[in-house]
Amino acid sequence: MTQESSDHGQVNIKDIHWLMDMLQSIDVGLIVLDKSYRVKVWNSFMENHSGVSPAIIKEKVLFDIFPSIPENWFRQKIESVFLLNSSTFTVWEQRPYLFQFKNYRPITGAADFMYQNITLIPLSSANNQINHVGVLIYDVTDIAVNKIKLEEANNKLELLSKTDHLTQLNNRGAWEGYLEKEFSRSRRSSHLCSVVMFDIDHFKKVNDTYGHPAGDEVIRRTAAILRDTMRMTDIAGRYGGEEFGVILVDTGASDAMVFMERLRKRIEQEVVKFDEHEINFTISLGVSELSDDCDDYKVWLEQSDKALYVCKESGRNQSHIYKPA
Amino acid sequence: MTTKVLVCDDSSFARKQLARALPGHWDIELSYAANGAEALDLIRKKQGEVLFLDLNMPVMDGYQTLQNILKEDLPTMTLVVSGDIQPEALQRVKALGALDFIKKPVDGELIVQILSKYGISIDEKDEAVTSHDDNSVLDLDDSYKELANVAMGRAADLLARLLGVFVMMPIPNVKHIEINELEMAVQHIKSNDSISAVCQGFIGSGVAGEALLIFNETSYSDIAELMKYDGEVDESAQLELLMDISSVLCNACLNGIADQLDVSFSVGHPMVIGQHIHFDDILKGSATQWKKLLTIEMGYKIENRDINCDLLLLITEDSIDSLNDRVSYLLE
Repeated sequence: MTQESSDHGQVNIKDIHWLMDMLQSIDVGLIVLDKSYRVKVWNSFMENHSGVSPAIIKEKVLFDIFPSIPENWFRQKIESVFLLNSSTFTVWEQRPYLFQFKNYRPITGAADFMYQNITLIPLSSANNQINHVGVLIYDVTDIAVNKIKLEEANNKLELLSKTDHLTQLNNRGAWEGYLEKEFSRSRRSSHLCSVVMFDIDHFKKVNDTYGHPAGDEVIRRTAAILRDTMRMTDIAGRYGGEEFGVILVDTGASDAMVFMERLRKRIEQEVVKFDEHEINFTISLGVSELSDDCDDYKVWLEQSDKALYVCKESGRNQSHIYKPA
Repeated sequence: MTTKVLVCDDSSFARKQLARALPGHWDIELSYAANGAEALDLIRKKQGEVLFLDLNMPVMDGYQTLQNILKEDLPTMTLVVSGDIQPEALQRVKALGALDFIKKPVDGELIVQILSKYGISIDEKDEAVTSHDDNSVLDLDDSYKELANVAMGRAADLLARLLGVFVMMPIPNVKHIEINELEMAVQHIKSNDSISAVCQGFIGSGVAGEALLIFNETSYSDIAELMKYDGEVDESAQLELLMDISSVLCNACLNGIADQLDVSFSVGHPMVIGQHIHFDDILKGSATQWKKLLTIEMGYKIENRDINCDLLLLITEDSIDSLNDRVSYLLE
C-alpha cells in the first residue's frame, strides 16, 4: 500500500484480493443488496449457514430465494436506510432472526436456531448516490440465550422471595408491600378498601396435641380455603405463624363482614384428617375500613389487629369491625 | 461606508465561528447579542443593518425575534443561521421575513454568495483584517453545546422526515458530572417516568463514550400513529418503534458530531437497556472504571404531540483533551 493510499483509507487493486479473503472468512454475515433487493454480495458465512451458494443467489431477488424472510418488515427497514441515508440496527429482542439458521454446534449449541443482530448500512457509489445497502448479520445466540436464562432465573427468584413456602401465599414482606401500595392508591383515588387480619384459634394446642406436621397441615388447609373464598383481586398473605392478612380492594367494612363470615363458617365446618385424628378448628377475624384518620398503612393494620383482639376477648370464632374509640 | 453587522447567537462559540467566516476585507462594525431581546435593542439603536440570527436561544428565540422585527418594522436585513435544518424551519423563517437561511456550521464562501445575492455590498476596508473575531477566550462547554446543537439539528431533520412532523429543538444541556449523579444530566425525564432506554457505544480519534436514548413511554401511541403502525402497540411493537427512532437519532447525532470534528467514529451495535424501567435502573449492572463524565443532553419534542425523548451523549473523562484539541481546530 502506498503512503498516499493508506492516508486516505483507500486500497490498491492488488490489495483487494486479501481484503476479499478477510470479508469471506469473517464470522459475520455480509450481504449487499441493490434497490430491487437483488443480491450483489454473499459471503462465506451466509453461504455456509444457509447452504445457498453465491452462484445461486447472485442477482436474484432475496425474497425469492428466502421466502421465510418477513418481507414487509425487512422492506420497511431497508427503505428507511435509502430514504434517510442513515444506518439502521435491529436487535434479537425485536425479532430473533432474519435468516432461519440452525444451531450448528452439536454439544455446546445453546438454542435451536441462531439469534441475530442486524445492521443495515447505506453504501454510496462513486457518484455519491445511495444505490446499495449493506446487511451485516451477527450471531448473538450465546448472548441472547444467557440473557433469557438470566431473566427467567431473576423472575423465579423474585417470585420465591415474595412467596411463603408453606402456603404459597405472599409472605409478610411482600404482603406489607402490597398493603402500602393499596393504602396510597385508595387514598389518592378515595376508593373504599378494607384490610382483614385473622388467626387460628388456640393454634398452639393443635401443635401440642397432634404435633407440628399436623399444625402445618391446618395452616395449609386454612390458606387453601382462603384462596377459594376470596376474589381474584383480593390480596392475601401469611403474616406470621398462624396469622393471615387479606386486602379487600374496593370493599367497605360491611361487605368485608360478609366475606369474613363466609370464610369463618367454611373453616368451622372443615375437618383436617391427620393420621388417625380428625381436627376441627376455628378462626377469629378483625377488619378495618380505610378512613381519613389513618396516616400510614401501619396504623390501618393496627386497627384491624385491634378488632381481631376484641374477638379474642369475647370468645373467639367470630368477626369484628374496628370502631374508633 | 461601514456596514453595521449584528450577530445574534446564545453560543459564544457560534458567534466566533460566524465572525471568522465573514469576509476579512468587509468594512463592518460588528456587534453581538446573546438572545433576540438584546438583538432588538441593538437594532433599534441602528447597530444592526445586517442581522445574522440564530433560532434556538433562551429568553427570546429567533422566531419571536423575526415576529418583533416585522411588527415594529425595524430596519434590518435578516439572515437566519441555524443548526435546525428541517425544511419546515426554512419555510417558517422565510414567511417571517428572513432573507435567507444559512446552515451551521457556516461556510465563508456561502456567506459571500448570499450577501451578493441580496445586494449587500461588501465595501472594502482600507486595511483588510484577516478575521473579525475578537480572539476572546474560548468557553469550551459553550463549544460542546454548539457542536451538539448542530448535530441535533441534523438528527431532528431526519426524525422530521421519518415521522412527517416538525421537531422542536431545545438548547442542549452540557454538564460535567460524577457517574453517580447521572440524574443531574437530564432535565427532560423525571425519575418516576416509565421509560425505555437504548445505548450505543462510539469511539474514534481519542473521543469515546456512549449515546443513550431515553424514551418516555407515554410517547408510544403518538409515534405509532405517525409511523402508520397497524395493530396493537404491545411490547414488541414498542421495541420496534424504539429501535427505529434510536437508529435514526443516535446515528445522525454521532455523524453530526464526527463530521464537525472531522473524525469518524466506530459505532457499536445498540443495546436495549430495558423497557418499562425508571431512570435509576439505567445504572444497574454498570461496572465502569469511569468516575467523571461530560454529558450533553438533547431533548426532542414534537409539535402538537405528546412525544418526548432524550438523547444523552456520555463522554469519558479521558476524551476531553482530544475533544478540546479538535474543537480548537474549528476556530483556526
